[in-house]
Amino acid sequence: MSESRRLPVYLLLDCSGSMNGEPIEAVRAGVKALIADLKTDPQALETAYMSVITFAGSAQQVAPLTELMMFQEPHLDASGSTSLGEALTQLEQCVDREVKKSTPTQKGDWKPLVFLMTDGQPTDSWEQAADRIKQKRINIIACAAGPGADANLLKRITEEVVILNNLQPDTLKAFFKWVSSSIKMTSQSIQQVGPDTPVSLPPPPPTIQFVP
Amino acid sequence: MKVEKATLKDGRVIDYVYSDDPPAGGMKKTYFSPDRSYVVQFFHNESAGLDPQRMARLEYILTKYNPTIPHSQGGAQGVTPAAAEYFKKLFCWPTAIVVKPQVGIVAPTYPSNYFFAKGPFSGREKEGRWFTSPKLRGMLPDEERGAWINYFKLCILMARAVRRLHMAGLAHSDLSCRNILVDPSSGQSVVIDIDSLVVPNLFPPDVAGTPGYIAPEVLGTMHLPLTDPKRILPSVRTDQHALPVLIYEYLLSRHPLRGPKVNSTSSAEEDEQLSMGSKALFVENPQDMSNRPKDLTIPCSVLGPHLESLFMQAFVKGLHSPNDRPAASDWERALIKTWDMIYPCPNRSCSHKWFVLYDTNNVKCPFCNTRITGTVPILKLRKESRPGQWFQDGKIVIYDGIYFFKWHVYDNMFPGEEADRTPQAYCQFYQGQWILVNKNLTSLTSPGGNRVPAGQAVVLKDGAQLRLSQDAHGRIAEVQMLQL
Repeated sequence: MSESRRLPVYLLLDCSGSMNGEPIEAVRAGVKALIADLKTDPQALETAYMSVITFAGSAQQVAPLTELMMFQEPHLDASGSTSLGEALTQLEQCVDREVKKSTPTQKGDWKPLVFLMTDGQPTDSWEQAADRIKQKRINIIACAAGPGADANLLKRITEEVVILNNLQPDTLKAFFKWVSSSIKMTSQSIQQVGPDTPVSLPPPPPTIQFVP
Repeated sequence: MKVEKATLKDGRVIDYVYSDDPPAGGMKKTYFSPDRSYVVQFFHNESAGLDPQRMARLEYILTKYNPTIPHSQGGAQGVTPAAAEYFKKLFCWPTAIVVKPQVGIVAPTYPSNYFFAKGPFSGREKEGRWFTSPKLRGMLPDEERGAWINYFKLCILMARAVRRLHMAGLAHSDLSCRNILVDPSSGQSVVIDIDSLVVPNLFPPDVAGTPGYIAPEVLGTMHLPLTDPKRILPSVRTDQHALPVLIYEYLLSRHPLRGPKVNSTSSAEEDEQLSMGSKALFVENPQDMSNRPKDLTIPCSVLGPHLESLFMQAFVKGLHSPNDRPAASDWERALIKTWDMIYPCPNRSCSHKWFVLYDTNNVKCPFCNTRITGTVPILKLRKESRPGQWFQDGKIVIYDGIYFFKWHVYDNMFPGEEADRTPQAYCQFYQGQWILVNKNLTSLTSPGGNRVPAGQAVVLKDGAQLRLSQDAHGRIAEVQMLQL
């Protein structure tokens, strides 16, 4: 039987020094809970492939795109600056390398779903990478977490920007739970859709607000 | 455990267990009762209670459209107490409307057999996807996978449930592997998420459906505004697409429209939109083979002529022509007729253990290619359409231990929700010959014209005719001994 399409999911996580302590602890727990939750969802198990890219002083793909069942959450540590530009360049390269394109004889992967979370201002040059990534066929949901993050800046990367008011464990937990439900399949809304209608996201919990 | 009170529309107050983190679907969040016998579900949209249409819809679903309450007690027209009991098992039907603290519904908890008892997913609901996807099936413990014959059973129940909805003029509008739970270890299914049923011209659909089950014409017109007259919304006719997709998936473990054909290389999303929508093509389309998987070795024709012709009608003629799709009742009938032709494969290691014996010229199990040898009796059922004229209207393939029921004996009985499920007779291979043993038939008559009382048997011989009942509508069974 022909292999079903894969849904590539990339988590871009800010691991800069400001995340040190409770916040990074909560992110670790959040990623763990996210993976555990998805591992019991039939649709996610069938289609989702996960990858984690972290960024601090530099950016690196700490977990390559891996089938959900085989995925091991990477160890996350927080220190250093916020190389958002490098992270976006990494993402671009990973997507080009790992996501299967459609050809006349092969069904390609679904449009990648990217969750980007940052708690601060980028410390490298990021604008060009942001402009390039916005042109790509990728669904990016950017999350400005806590008071130090700039939601308007993230709008240069994607239209879908949410704000977390703080970096409390419960807030981060709710965020990762929402990420989890965004990856699972639900009934399709009756609303009109166009060829480039963005991915439909479930209503976020009260601690998360969309930036209009 | 923090127990809260919910006030129902009729004034009653019930308990539910509060949770900070309740399970939530697209429309509702769910809280359990303290004893977990029912659930209280609140709509995410808190203004639902202000929407008179939604409230009227719920009210109707609980009363005049409700097949799980006898008509005499306020349920749907024509529902007898027996039928109501029967349909309670096929639907998880809401039982009350909640008005405080939020608008919602009360529904029974799914019976425990719809949760995995064993394995890594223990406690999870048995959505159909677990069983139709080869990848997910491989993750399940053996005892949860269920025998193929149980998938056949649950398809009958599923078709029956959908037939009942359609009979009342209701459309489910989102039939999918998520909204029908299945239990392949017992062969049961239950339709859930009843609260968004569609009543034509009265209550419009909330959702377009679930990817993979949305009818091509709905997907193909999704780009139009909701107000455009060309926009096609879910209805009974789109349920008539989703139902055979499910049946095809359960019986053949593959999707009828997902083949190798690529309809757009610009994106997976666009390709999907076309491949499930305007360019949808049945993987077994006999004229256009361009979407046929290379490894398709078990065509739907192995399910016998009744199901094959309905699949062709649903996925070739009716795929882009909604009015040509078979009704749910057609599926129920065809599955039942096919059930009477099912035969046990003697190969102990056969993956399916049973197959449909329809081709008497080439009797082998299509799943493991085991050839059948020996004698297989077949009963051709005939009904008296005019005095003295007997027409064949059914066929039963006999195996050791097969039971017959009233719907075999009488031509005016149907094995639906009202049927008497008491066995009337059975067949056995006994001391080197095939016999039919009477259990409850009152006027079984042997080929020689003698009555065969309950507890007595008659030997099956080629060409012999048995009168199953002398009553009005009693059938004749003509024996064919297939020598293999």
